[in-house]
Amino acid sequence: MDFTLSIQQKQIRRMARQFAKAELALIAKEIDEEARFPWEVVEKMGPLNFFGMQAPRKYGGAEMDSISYCLVIEEISGVCAAMGLTIAVHNSVVVYPLSQFGNEEQKATYLPSLAAGEKIGAFCLTEPNAGSDAMAIESTAVREGDSYIVNANKIFVTNGGVADTLILFVSVNPDDVKKGFSAILVERGTPGFEVGLLENSCGVRANPVSSIVLTDCRVPKANLLGREGDGFKIAMAGLDTGRIGIAAQAMGISQAALDASLKYAKERIQFRVPLARHQAIQMMLADMGTMVEASRLLTLQAAHIRDQGGNSPGLQQWPSSLQPAPLQKCHRWVYKSMEVMDIPKTTRLSDIFEMPG
Amino acid sequence: MNMNIIVCIKQVIAGDRVKIDPLTQSLVRSAEFSHINPFDLFALDLAVQLKRETSSTLTAVTMGPPISEEVLWEALAIGADRAILLSDPRFATSDTLATSYVLGMGIRKIGKFDLVLCGMRTTDSDTAQVGPQLAEELDIPHVTGVERMEKKEGVFWIERTSDGFREVLQVPAPALLVISPRTEVRFPSLVDIQDAFTQSTIEYWNLEDLNADPMKVGRDGSATWVEALLPLTQQKSCVFLEGEPRQQAKLLFLKLIERNLFS
Repeated sequence: MDFTLSIQQKQIRRMARQFAKAELALIAKEIDEEARFPWEVVEKMGPLNFFGMQAPRKYGGAEMDSISYCLVIEEISGVCAAMGLTIAVHNSVVVYPLSQFGNEEQKATYLPSLAAGEKIGAFCLTEPNAGSDAMAIESTAVREGDSYIVNANKIFVTNGGVADTLILFVSVNPDDVKKGFSAILVERGTPGFEVGLLENSCGVRANPVSSIVLTDCRVPKANLLGREGDGFKIAMAGLDTGRIGIAAQAMGISQAALDASLKYAKERIQFRVPLARHQAIQMMLADMGTMVEASRLLTLQAAHIRDQGGNSPGLQQWPSSLQPAPLQKCHRWVYKSMEVMDIPKTTRLSDIFEMPG
Repeated sequence: MNMNIIVCIKQVIAGDRVKIDPLTQSLVRSAEFSHINPFDLFALDLAVQLKRETSSTLTAVTMGPPISEEVLWEALAIGADRAILLSDPRFATSDTLATSYVLGMGIRKIGKFDLVLCGMRTTDSDTAQVGPQLAEELDIPHVTGVERMEKKEGVFWIERTSDGFREVLQVPAPALLVISPRTEVRFPSLVDIQDAFTQSTIEYWNLEDLNADPMKVGRDGSATWVEALLPLTQQKSCVFLEGEPRQQAKLLFLKLIERNLFS
């Protein structure tokens, strides 16, 4: 078993790290406070393929392996969790299902602009009465000629406030949601499409998580992804991939918390020595380090299994649910240190994304 | 106007990871904590720009142990067409003179070239000598501190800042230019990085490949050598200035004057 990253993967990680440091580090705190989506950074990320990491080359993607994909999300998230979230969701639950289940025309229409970051993607599943119980959705799409008339109320839509291309889960059969559960591509600006209120998501406020409301919205039948009734399969395929990205995001946030704690422990003097010289603190740091490293191994293993064609939902769940542990320890110490306040704020963040709950 | 451009790069140790081998008195290099010398990125960036404007060929060269391969992959991702690693255990502990000799032999083996670009200095040894020494070794003209350049009618027009003046210089090809740091470098895209690995290889050249004189490389070929390398311990102390902001500013100003930090 060889756990070393290839030179190529290390180069990819280095590029993402340097990019995050140069373009996001200085504004991460500000955009979180202002709840501002940093379009100026997105414009620079597009040509570097951050928005089409695993999309086919044919459509402008980088067709990268899943380990490289995780490394990029980890590096971006460690500096700016909100942008880590943006690219994780865009790539895994929009670009991936579209590449996998879209027909040639849909791929040619939507993938190039999504992969270039010119358009942002969103995944709309959750509703006020449906989350983990996806079959409880109340959104409908009723056939009328060559169109569907869509009525939907979707909540907690990551990227919602800025998304142009959305995969929306609806039922085409009001009598049997399970049979009618379908995925449909909707474009922002379609009459009847409305972005609702933005969520005030702690620590990732720069990502406009919002509700999306469609009222008698006419969507061409050609926008159906897969066939009628394929929705659940598409949603699950997206989420299986998505969870690896979210685990990688958790990894980035945890590593950043560990780095901040380590820095603080070396700087802060108590009892005439730096905190790091106290054994109790050393033990905490060692625990945090162990947890972060264990999370990384699980996440990358899940990514590896995915590239081999398998699926391993248990593996990526652990890093996400574990993430609060190092963060809470970090929080305890750096509570008053303004410099690192951004990081602890994201406590429990990745714990809830795309997870059963 | 196709040119053959050569960029010399170096793998350096990340600033906060410098460790000294107590036996050899040399820096300990590991792949994990090493990266391309940031000053070389400016040379590489300019070279890529020039290559694209003039449909030229760009070759990246480095001398170092096998792990230096990583910086060559980075150069390929940024836009180099060819990457050559000059590597031989006998090159170890070369000073700047011996390094320039090895680089010079490597460049001679590459063959015809129009332009050699170097970074201003390295972050781990900081001599800024290799560029000019390499030009001497190759017996070609060189200009340091280059900020802008273009090729017109077979001649390079160079701009640089010198003692508050803007100097415009002309230099015939082939020439060596030492590039001044600029504000921004471009990042390679994820596709560029992938393509570097699928479309290129790294060429390894050792002492014999270069047909180099063993007495001119390593310790034997060096005119200087490191007797001791000692880590510096920096004493930091913190002083709080009391009073109203205006008063604090005045106190700060006086302290700076006191330490000759204002002239």
